[in-house]
Amino acid sequence: MHRILIVSDDTFLCDLIRLSLVDMRVEVHCAADAAGMRAQCRRVLFDLVIVLAAGLFLGGEEPLREVRPAGLRRPAVYVLAWQQTEQTVLSLLEAGVNQYMTFPVSLHRLRRKVADELNRTL
Amino acid sequence: MNMLPLIVLTLCAATVAAALMLVHAAERLRLRRRAGRDAVLRTRYLQTVLHACVYGSGPMRFPLLGRPGTRTILAETLAGLGSVTCGLDAGPLRRAVAGCGLDRWLLRRARRCGGYRRARALALLARLPLDAAVAEEVGRYLRSRNRCVRFQALCVQLAADPSSALRRMGEYGHPFSAAEVAGVLALLRRGLLPIAYGPLLTSPKRNLRRVGLGIVRLFGIEEAEAQLLYLTGAEDAELGREALYALCSMRRSLGRREVAFRIARMTLPERRSLLRYLAHEGYASGALLRLFDAGERPYYEALVQSYKRSLA
Repeated sequence: MHRILIVSDDTFLCDLIRLSLVDMRVEVHCAADAAGMRAQCRRVLFDLVIVLAAGLFLGGEEPLREVRPAGLRRPAVYVLAWQQTEQTVLSLLEAGVNQYMTFPVSLHRLRRKVADELNRTL
Repeated sequence: MNMLPLIVLTLCAATVAAALMLVHAAERLRLRRRAGRDAVLRTRYLQTVLHACVYGSGPMRFPLLGRPGTRTILAETLAGLGSVTCGLDAGPLRRAVAGCGLDRWLLRRARRCGGYRRARALALLARLPLDAAVAEEVGRYLRSRNRCVRFQALCVQLAADPSSALRRMGEYGHPFSAAEVAGVLALLRRGLLPIAYGPLLTSPKRNLRRVGLGIVRLFGIEEAEAQLLYLTGAEDAELGREALYALCSMRRSLGRREVAFRIARMTLPERRSLLRYLAHEGYASGALLRLFDAGERPYYEALVQSYKRSLA
């Protein structure tokens, strides 16, 4: 079974994404912040991490260095946020994010992308 | 000395203190249980609505609906879902709103409350799928003294009747603030309003021009450069400044007569603010040679060399 981690301090958003993926036969975990994300990623190798804010990557830190073990392409990281300036998107991609989507997000599109991403890992 | 009155007084005080502590503890317990119940209900309602929206029709049951606070939870859930998603089937959302009478309930709440509670009710209403008839019912709040109430009433009208959005924004009697333009653009991003920026930029109404500039900036529409230059050189200082920022956000050339005209008429703080924005957008200091004084250039170079841009 695939494992997905959702990172957000907003419980509503976290629930929304978790419930929209519920029929995909995936194991979904939630973390409230960067520390929680790092702690969970140390214990479990996730297939996909969905971060519901861009701020985690914009403070000069490199959170993906600890999340993604050296030499591995897993977990893939998707970021969903409100910002849509070119600079933000480029910064996120340079930080190692695989996919960036802006709110308001199409849940059908997100589910399709997640399904494609998980199928690629088989 | 008779100690009895003192003992009685102490006992009474202790009893009252114990009773107050018990009441306080009971209240805290009640609030904790209520918060737990609200969290469970919120997830349950979201699951029900999401299931109906993603997997098609089905009966939607909202347990405990009618108990205190539950309709607010349902309204917040539907409004939250509406504001962070797009492309969802609106049918189930409409059924939920109509079936539970949420629109009528929020209108009643807006009528009974005042100030920011009224604005909150209207803000929730604006994020629900509504009938066009609701647009007329909130018309009276457009004359409210509270700016927030006025603007949320306009948002309800825009969401309920998008076909008349341009007319309503044009007739709105107060100039939009930057936050209000962002609020209108949020409706636009949800697909509720048209993205026809052309008529907006050439409109005689100031609010419509500001929304048009917001659209151009949001989507980076480079075809609008000629209209932006025209607005930059116009007499309206605030509009000209916004048009200039829109040009800069698209990294267009600054070597135009209109740009020089606008920058020459800016105050020192405005010019500094523009320099910070130009540094953020990555303009080379050579591009600013003809636009800024020799005294202002070191400030720009210091900004560029500070690596503040690299933080993002």
